[in-house]
Amino acid sequence: MINGNLKATYAADERMVDNRYKQFFVYGMAVLCALMPFAANNYIILVAAQMGIMLIAVVGVNVVIGYTGLLSLGHAAFLAIGAYSIPILHGAMGTLGLPEGIMPFLAIPGAVLISALLGIIVGLPSLRVKGLYLAVATLSANFIVIFLIELKAVSPWTGGVQGINTPDANLLGWELDTQREMFALIAAMAFVTILAVQNLFRTRVGRAFIAIRERDYSAEILGISLLRYKLMSFAISAACCGLAGALFAYFYARILPEQFELALSLQLVAALIVGGMGRIMGPIFGVIIIVTVPEALKFSFGMVAGGSADVAAFRAPLQEIVFGLLIILFLMFEPLGITQIVDRGFRAINRWPFARG
Amino acid sequence: MLEIRDLHLSFGGIDALQGINFTAAEGEITGVIGPNGAGKTSLFNAISGFYQPDRGQVLFKGGDITWLSPDKRAGLGIARTFQNIALFRGMTVLDNVKLGGHTRLKTGLFSALRYFGAAQQEELAFREEVEQRVIDFLEIDHIRKYPITMLPYGLQKRVELGRALAMRPRVLLLDEPVAGMNREETADMARFILDVQLEFGTTILLVEHDMHMVMDICSRIVVLNFGQQISTGTPQEVSGDDTVIEAYLGRAA
Amino acid sequence: MGQFIQFTLNGLMAGAIYALIAVGIVSVYKATRVVNFAHGYLIMFGAYFYYTFAVLFPELPSAPDWLAQWEPAWLLAAREGLPMFSPMGAVLDWLANLPRIVFGLAGSVVACALLGRLIERTLMRPLIGQSTFAMIMITVGLISVLSGAKSLIWTADAAFVPHIAPNTPIRFEVFGNPVFLFGADVANVAIALVMFVSIVAWVRYSKGGVAIRATAEDQQTAYSMGISVPKVFARAWVLAATTGAIAGAILATRNGVSPSLGLFGFSVLAIVLMGGLDSYVGVFLAALAVGFLEAMAQWQLGGEWAEVVPYIAVLIVILIRPHGLFGQKEVERI
Repeated sequence: MINGNLKATYAADERMVDNRYKQFFVYGMAVLCALMPFAANNYIILVAAQMGIMLIAVVGVNVVIGYTGLLSLGHAAFLAIGAYSIPILHGAMGTLGLPEGIMPFLAIPGAVLISALLGIIVGLPSLRVKGLYLAVATLSANFIVIFLIELKAVSPWTGGVQGINTPDANLLGWELDTQREMFALIAAMAFVTILAVQNLFRTRVGRAFIAIRERDYSAEILGISLLRYKLMSFAISAACCGLAGALFAYFYARILPEQFELALSLQLVAALIVGGMGRIMGPIFGVIIIVTVPEALKFSFGMVAGGSADVAAFRAPLQEIVFGLLIILFLMFEPLGITQIVDRGFRAINRWPFARG
Repeated sequence: MLEIRDLHLSFGGIDALQGINFTAAEGEITGVIGPNGAGKTSLFNAISGFYQPDRGQVLFKGGDITWLSPDKRAGLGIARTFQNIALFRGMTVLDNVKLGGHTRLKTGLFSALRYFGAAQQEELAFREEVEQRVIDFLEIDHIRKYPITMLPYGLQKRVELGRALAMRPRVLLLDEPVAGMNREETADMARFILDVQLEFGTTILLVEHDMHMVMDICSRIVVLNFGQQISTGTPQEVSGDDTVIEAYLGRAA
Repeated sequence: MGQFIQFTLNGLMAGAIYALIAVGIVSVYKATRVVNFAHGYLIMFGAYFYYTFAVLFPELPSAPDWLAQWEPAWLLAAREGLPMFSPMGAVLDWLANLPRIVFGLAGSVVACALLGRLIERTLMRPLIGQSTFAMIMITVGLISVLSGAKSLIWTADAAFVPHIAPNTPIRFEVFGNPVFLFGADVANVAIALVMFVSIVAWVRYSKGGVAIRATAEDQQTAYSMGISVPKVFARAWVLAATTGAIAGAILATRNGVSPSLGLFGFSVLAIVLMGGLDSYVGVFLAALAVGFLEAMAQWQLGGEWAEVVPYIAVLIVILIRPHGLFGQKEVERI
């Protein structure tokens, strides 16, 4: 592709952030995230933190749906597992007498690990079925997990339908009890997650995922064990969602089972479709849209309704409709998401003033 | 190197292969020919591991691989191209070729996540090797960053060959490598196949309809018709064999 | 023993209703190869439409009196001397409601048919030939749209909708054990079964049905045989929507009108996959089986476990027979 992007060594070619624009974006975002805890107001911090948590989850969903092509619709279950692991593990560690300062260092990896294991189990049907059947199997798994959490039998640990209070993260004495401080942690985790997942796609592991998506018998012929890599893909995406869930638990004071129902799974997939599946920037664009649209709606309703409860009651259903329409319109007109639109834009810029259309 | 012993394969009422016996000698090019529906692709699928035969064995370097799964056979060094190109359309030529070498790399999940360190070294070394051994060898360096969908048919076939080569296979199964190509492209492909044999000493098994090419480059030929093996031998022997002529051209009434 | 029989009967009756819901999903799949993940929400609309036409409209000041409560003189006279819960009384109550029941059902069917037509026209036409993923995700998007639209149009949850049939308790004995059934339930099941069988028969024997099956096999060939494929699609969706309307009305009388009706769609999806996507027989058996298992779970483990039965069941079935009990395996050409 003639785009003026020339490299002199293979090593330079294999770099992830290989041109000016990408460097600017990545370093710019890093600086922005570093400055925000000090400069931004509370509202922006809140929205940014929500975006961060969702971003980690959607990056995970991107691995399994976008890159590996396995239709998994039940990821809210992994977020739930990650979130509920935090109070449960903290309780267990508390009885063991561990100091609060090191609990997050054990609880977060613990949540990630448990989610990954569950991911492997949920991924087992993917070895037998594809497409539609896998979608329903993963949906079923979502329902079952939520059901198990709400079960009265385990409510001493999960709080049942009413939910459970969650502790604050305490990193070796530094208590993250404000949203600002949590945002710093979330942003750091988001960067690490995106970097790690992208690294995968520079190696044979990521390539294997893409091969499975495109044509799995061809992948088998090349020596890729479908069993191993499909389950790995599920494990990674479940781990990401588990991490997001753990951060969610630390961020909010309380978690309830109804926050992890089907609606959340659908939001994650909507973010992926809108942003663009199987691309690095997909989750980023998608999460920005999915989080800002409800906020924009809240804003405009606030202005129009001016406090009238009747009109305000229309906000939630309208939000649902907007989400549904976003998914439908993007699938009909731009199935590859915003990244595709951005791609086209960059290509046009690159060729200007030579190319038209 | 690769031995097929009394192979029988049937699907429901159809006997796709009835007692196939031959050996693909090491470092040689063996051709498998026959009219459409003779069972050639079924034979390849059985060798690749997609079908399990009803009877008989597939032996590789003396060892029985009849019940091995396809990905394990790739691990042993059996590579294959497909009749309808089975390249990965979402990826570039370079990525497709790199995938061929999957079994030879060692990067696992955790070292991949970290990348900097062992994984990066392995990747860069592999990249160098692939560039020299495969991409330069097959003269596809000018298109290595192109997505597959942009390439013409002939080049796609070449890329598929490259992907198989990245595995450094001991046995290479080529399923109609020049199907749909004109004379120039066929000659090019034939040249590359011969180069592979000479340069790397690979044992090649070739299914093809283009008789000129088959007679030119194969040292031995196996003829199939309706699942049965009707002739085996050198190109001269086979082209003079009456049963083969009858199978292709029919008998004078 | 008596309890077992009671629960079994309840379960099988519930299963019959699931089968009616499932027939809509299977029919759309047979005709268009699209699985409608939002079918449960179509049913929810059916229930809400029934509520609108059977309760809301009749209660409007402008509606005729007889619509809300038909009370001709002879009816009132017959009701005079009857005790509170007599069977005759229930039948007469039902008769008094009959106008609005009929209005409700008719209105719901028409409204749902229009809705089905609209969805098919706007969403499904563009989807023809696209990937499985696109098809599933568009119907998933439809879930949100329908759910939100329902909350916009009808804000309150209603509880009462008139039963379709007289709601008398029927007592009888099975093997010496007393069993309770409600007349309304039995009627619902009868309706469900009759509709199920007639749809299956229609698809099998009528010209329209053959057109559907032909389109399912090979759209191109069907076109060249003179079958109007878009018409077939539209018909399939209208069929699904109308069965959804009746099923929704029935569910509304059993469970009340509420947004949670949409969730039935997912458990029926699980049933459809268990039975095999394109087999009416398989789906029917799976529906009865799930109804039965749900009842057993409710009996032994409590109501909450009954919810999750279809999902556990589908996972088990998929592990053993990946394409459902009666489904056909799709062969991929290598």
